[in-house]
Amino acid sequence: MALKRRLPALALWSGAALLVAFRPPPSLHTPQPPSFPAAALLTSALVAALLILGVASLAALGGPNLARRRWLAILETPPELFWGGCLIALWPGTWGPPGRLALGLAFLLAMGPAEVRWLCSALPAESPFPTAWGAAAIQRSRRLALRHLLGRWIAVRFPLWITGTLILESLLGVPGLGLDWSARFTRHDRVGLWVWIAAFAALHLLAPDAEESPTSSGGNA
Amino acid sequence: MKWRLLALLALWLPEPALDPFRGGQSPSWAHPLGTDLLGRDGLLRLAVGALRSTGFASACALLALALGFLLASGAPALRHLASALRRIPPLLLLLPLAAAVGPFGWVGLGVLLSLFLGLHLTPPLAIHVDGLRISPAWKSERLMGSSLSSRARRWAPWAWERSVLLLPTAWLGALWAEATLRALGLGPGPGTDTLGRLLQEELPRLSTDSTPLGWAALGTVLVLAWTCTPETRP
Repeated sequence: MALKRRLPALALWSGAALLVAFRPPPSLHTPQPPSFPAAALLTSALVAALLILGVASLAALGGPNLARRRWLAILETPPELFWGGCLIALWPGTWGPPGRLALGLAFLLAMGPAEVRWLCSALPAESPFPTAWGAAAIQRSRRLALRHLLGRWIAVRFPLWITGTLILESLLGVPGLGLDWSARFTRHDRVGLWVWIAAFAALHLLAPDAEESPTSSGGNA
Repeated sequence: MKWRLLALLALWLPEPALDPFRGGQSPSWAHPLGTDLLGRDGLLRLAVGALRSTGFASACALLALALGFLLASGAPALRHLASALRRIPPLLLLLPLAAAVGPFGWVGLGVLLSLFLGLHLTPPLAIHVDGLRISPAWKSERLMGSSLSSRARRWAPWAWERSVLLLPTAWLGALWAEATLRALGLGPGPGTDTLGRLLQEELPRLSTDSTPLGWAALGTVLVLAWTCTPETRP
């Protein structure tokens, strides 16, 4: 049954991969594929680790009730564009143009609130149990739930993180993973696109029950 | 809710008049946000641009809801395909696509956005559609052999009632997608003022020679975001 359910998705990903492999080049002169932004990899990994740690800690502290806070909804609704714009406006001119540090900061501001809400919404309800058993039981229940959710959360939300970083990188003019995907798409780099499609297909397979997960806000998609 | 539907009328708003002899004026009582180099009033540009963006977003959201209903009532194979397509966020595909094939026209962008948003609206709509499919009311419709048009007429208010709750989410998605594409220079041509077009002009200037129009455009983004913020999240 699981394989039958997955067949259309597998057909879609295979079709995309075949399309990339066999489509004709755009012109006689094919532009050079962009070089992989290896320098941005470490920063991106660091920022992603910060996001994962920060969001998981907040979810562990706040629990499922945190998802219903109005201040979180207010922080979540503005798009990446707004946070990028604020950063450009407030960045001191004497510090030079915004770099990777600014990109990381804008990324955390733009993605953090939505991720906290997603993770907190996915946590199981705590009333009447384990609330009745005391604070230690609540903490243990949250820890266990977060451990189970972590892989699925990252697999489901990773494409949104790439979208966020693509918008912020384009806005701030800092090359990174998002612009790498965009440049390989634009320049018809078959090998690079293959890798990206394989990554998206792997994410789809890693997050099989995304349908039952809390829906993301369309706003930041 | 109603103001979003009323904003559809803003799609036919005319462009503010040019007055090159009054270009580049500082803010005053007559022009609170000053005028641009072509002499257009900044406040008027912002109002027309924001209204036009909301109108475009409303049109996309309505089309997305209709497409979402179609997908939700489709065969299971179609739904699984939609599930795989949902894995890629709309802007992750639209941004490089616009960079590769050139900026989209208004109709092209609207249809593409609606299609992508419709994919994301399918799961919540499918819950209602599945519930209806197993209901005695629907079974009796089939037993009586009523025609498709009469069924559509009878059930349209029910479908609207269920889908209208999702309208703000779809609306916000369309609004931000249009603003982002245009702010990055990948939206429809520069002829028409929208919120995204104003942000494209003003955002790069904010740190060096910011204008009141730039700050007001950024503030408008925040205000529009707040209109979609519920008191508490479910």
